[in-house]
Amino acid sequence: MSNYFDALSVLILFSSFILMANKRIKSYIKTFRIQSLLIALAAGIMGIKGSFEEGRIDILVVCLLIVVLKVIFIPNLLNKTYANIEYKVEKDFILNIPILILMCCALVVFTYFSLSTIDGINAGIINTQVVNSVSVILIGLLFMISRKKAIGQIVGFLVIENGLYITALFSTHGMPFIVDVGIFIDVITAVMILGFMVFRINEKFESIDIDKLNNLRG
Amino acid sequence: MKIFSASALFQTSILLYLLAAIAALVFIKQQKWDNIISNIICIIAAIFGIAASLMKILVEDMPINISIFHSTIPFISVELRIDHLSAFFVLSLSLLVVCVSLYSIGYISHYIGKRKVGLFNFLYSAFILSMFLVMTSGNAVFFLLTWEAMSLLSYFLVVFESEHEENQAAGTLYIIMTHVGTAFLMVGFMMMYSYTQSFDMFGSSADIPILAKNAMFIMFLIGFGTKAGVIPFHIWLPCAHPAAPSNVSALMSGIMIKTAIYGMLRFIFTYLGVQSTWWGALIIVLGIFSSTLGVSYAFVMANIKKLLAYSSIENIGIIFIGLGIGFIAQAQGHLTVSALAIIASLFHSFNHTLFKGSLFLGAGSIQYATHTKNMEELGGLIKKMPLTALFVLGGALSAASIVPFNGFIGEWLTYQSLFANIVPGQAALNILSILSVAVLAMTGAMAAASFVKLFGISFLGLPRSEQALQAKEVPCVMNIGTGILVTLCLFIGLFPLPILKVVDKVVLNLMGTSLIGQLQGGLLIAYYPLQISGNVISPLLFFVVLVAVILFALLVIRIIGGKYSERKYGTWDCGFEALNSRMQYSAAGFSNPIEIVFKILFRPSRKLKVEGKLAYHPESIEYTTVWESIFEKHLYNPIFYVIKMLSRRTKFIIQTGSIHSYLLYIFVVVLVLMMYNTFV
Repeated sequence: MSNYFDALSVLILFSSFILMANKRIKSYIKTFRIQSLLIALAAGIMGIKGSFEEGRIDILVVCLLIVVLKVIFIPNLLNKTYANIEYKVEKDFILNIPILILMCCALVVFTYFSLSTIDGINAGIINTQVVNSVSVILIGLLFMISRKKAIGQIVGFLVIENGLYITALFSTHGMPFIVDVGIFIDVITAVMILGFMVFRINEKFESIDIDKLNNLRG
Repeated sequence: MKIFSASALFQTSILLYLLAAIAALVFIKQQKWDNIISNIICIIAAIFGIAASLMKILVEDMPINISIFHSTIPFISVELRIDHLSAFFVLSLSLLVVCVSLYSIGYISHYIGKRKVGLFNFLYSAFILSMFLVMTSGNAVFFLLTWEAMSLLSYFLVVFESEHEENQAAGTLYIIMTHVGTAFLMVGFMMMYSYTQSFDMFGSSADIPILAKNAMFIMFLIGFGTKAGVIPFHIWLPCAHPAAPSNVSALMSGIMIKTAIYGMLRFIFTYLGVQSTWWGALIIVLGIFSSTLGVSYAFVMANIKKLLAYSSIENIGIIFIGLGIGFIAQAQGHLTVSALAIIASLFHSFNHTLFKGSLFLGAGSIQYATHTKNMEELGGLIKKMPLTALFVLGGALSAASIVPFNGFIGEWLTYQSLFANIVPGQAALNILSILSVAVLAMTGAMAAASFVKLFGISFLGLPRSEQALQAKEVPCVMNIGTGILVTLCLFIGLFPLPILKVVDKVVLNLMGTSLIGQLQGGLLIAYYPLQISGNVISPLLFFVVLVAVILFALLVIRIIGGKYSERKYGTWDCGFEALNSRMQYSAAGFSNPIEIVFKILFRPSRKLKVEGKLAYHPESIEYTTVWESIFEKHLYNPIFYVIKMLSRRTKFIIQTGSIHSYLLYIFVVVLVLMMYNTFV
C-alpha cells in the first residue's frame, strides 16, 4: 500500500514542478486541477483502505469533497475570473523558468535534509512522502513569489494549501473529519475573496499585475 | 474560615468593590441614584478594607493567601497574598477611598444630566479595585495584569472630559509613558522567570546572578519610576493629574503613584535584596532631582492642579530619598538606620496620601464652585467658601511640612535617617547625605512658598473674576470628605505614635528590625531615634507651646496697650477712587522673583503686548510667560526624533509595498527556521 502513496507523492511533487514551468495562466489552472485530482486519488486510496480496515468512511467523504471543490469548483471559478478580465499576453514571471526549476530542486534537497533530523516522522528510514509534500508547500510559496499576476498568487496559495493538506494526510493517515471540513471552508472563502479582489484590482489598475500595488503603501 | 478574620474582611472588601462597579452599570439610567449607591458601596468596601488591613497588621502575623482561581493555562492564576506591606498600602488606599467617595457623591452631581455618570462610577470603582489588587497580588503575572488594568482604567478616567483637546493630549502622553514603564517591568519579570523558572515574587532570588540583578534593578527602577512620576520620567504627571476629574486626581496623586513605591519595596527591596550601595545612591539622586525640580516647577504654576501635581513629584522625591537611604544602609548592614529610613518613607507616603488627597479634593471644590483651575481668576474665596478654605489651609500646611501637621513628621524622620547615615569613612556617601539634607531644607522652604501662593492668591484678597465673585460653598458631603482627611492630617501630626506603631510593625515584618522602642519617649510624644541626643521632638508640645505663646502675646498686648476700640473701614487707597482686584498681587507676580533667580531652569520667554493709540496711555497690556520644559526639549524630543527617523527609514527599506518582497520575507523565514531545525 505504501508504494502507491510513495508514487502518488512523487507525482504530486512532479505536478508542482510542472506548475512552476508553466507560462500561461490557463495552464496554471489546468495543472492545479491535475494536482488536486492526484490528491483526491491519494485520499481515495486511503479512504478505501480505512473503510476496509477500520470501517470509517470519513476519508472517502473528504475525497469526494476534494473532487467537487478543488477539481471542479475552484478551477472553474478561476477560469471564469480569468475570462472576465482583459487578456494580455505578458511575461508573467520574474526569474527564468530553468532557474526556477533548479531552485525547486534545491528546495526538495533542502527539505530532505531538514526533515531528516526530525524524530517521530521517520521510522528508521526517511519518510519520502512527507519530504515530497513539504516540498510542495515551499514550491507553492516560491511560485507565489515568482509570478507577477494576481491569479498566479491565488494558484500559489492553493498549492501551498494542497501541500499542507497532503502533508497532514500522509503524516496522520486521516485527520478528524471536522478539521478537514474546516480547512475546506477556509479555502473556499479565501478563493472567493481572492477572486473578487482580482476583479477589483483589475478595475482600479486596469491590470492584474501586482507590481502596480506598490503605490498603495502609506 | 472564621467570619471575623482579616482574610474574610479582605474578600468582602474586594467583592463590595466589584458590586459597586456592577451597581454603577445596573443603575446607569437613574444617574442620581447610581452615583449615591455606587459611592456608598465603595465607602463600605473601603471601611472593610481599613478594618482588614489594621487587623492584618496588628493581630495576624502570617501572610494571608487567597486563591481565587487556578487555571490550567500556565501562570494565569488569580491569587492574592497579603502581608504587612500590602496591608499597609491597602490601609492608605482605603482611608483615601472613604473620603474621596464621600466627596464624589457631591462632586459628581454636577455631571448628572451632562455626562455618563454610571460609566464614570464604573470606571472609578474598577480603578480602585485594580489598585487594591496591585497591592495584594500574589504572583508577578497577576501583578502585571492588574498593573495594566490600573493604567488603562486611569487613562479612561483622565480622558473622561474628553472634549478638551488638552485632556486628550494629556491622556495620550500618559498612556504612552505608562506603557513604556510597563515594558521595562515586563523585561524585569522575564529576566526573573528566565533565571528562577517561576513568577513567584515572594520566592527566593538566589539563583539570579549579580549582573542580572543589577539589570533587573535598572528595569524595575525605570518601570516603577515612570509610574511614580520621578524626574526625568515625570512628564506625564503634570499633564494627566490636572486633566482628570478632581476626585480621580486625588486618587491618582494620593495612592496610584504610591503603588510604584510598593512595587519598589516589593520587587527590589525584598525580592532582589539590596545588592550594592550604588542602588541606593542612584535612588537618592533621582529623589534629589525630583524634589528640587518638582517643587521649583510647582512654585511657578498658576493652575492649582498643576501646582499640586508638581508638588506630588516633590513628595515622591522625598520618599525616594528615604528609600535610597534605606537601600544604602541595608547594603552596608546598618539595619537600624535602614529601618528608620524605610519607616520614614512609608510614613511620608502615608501622609502624602492624606494631605495630597485633601488638597486635590479642595482644588476640586474650588473648580466645582468657580469652574476654573486658574489662580489668576480666583481670589477672595475665603469669604465665600470658609470651610473649603479652612481645609485647603490645613492640607497646605501639612504639605508645606509645618508643625503640627503630619507632613512634618515624615520629613523629620527622613532628616533623621539622613543624619544617621553620615558615618565616618565613606566620603562620597556622606556628601550625598549632606546634599540631601540641604536639598530637603530647600524643598521645604520652596514648598511652603508654593502653598503660600496657592492659598494666598486663591483665597485671600479680592475676587479676580466674575466666577470667583459668584462662588458658593460646596455641598456638605464634599466638605465632609475633605474634612476627614485634614482632621486625620492634624491628628497624626499631633499624635503620630499610633500610625508609627503600625508602620513599625510593617517594617518589623519586612526587615526584622523594630524601632518603636527608640521612637517613643516619655509621654508617648517624644522620639529618641537611634540614641542621637538632642533630636527629641514633640509636636503636641510644640503645638501647646505655640498656642500658649500666642495667648500670652495677646495678653501682653492687652495689658500694655489697654483697651482699644475696633472700627471697620475701607483700606486707605492713596487717593484713588477705589481699590479693585487688579491692584493686588497676581500669581505670576508672586512667583516672578524665583523665576528670575532660577532662569536657567525655567528658561522663561516673556511677551509684553501693549495695545492702544498712545504708548504712555495704553488701553490694555497683556503679559505672558512661557516656560521651556527642559526635559521635554533635551531628553524626550531627541528620543522621539530618533525613533521617528528610524521608523521612517525602515518603512522605506523593509516595507516597500511590493507583495513579492513580503512573500519573500515569509519564504526566507520558513527556510531559516527549517535550517535552524537541521543544524542546531
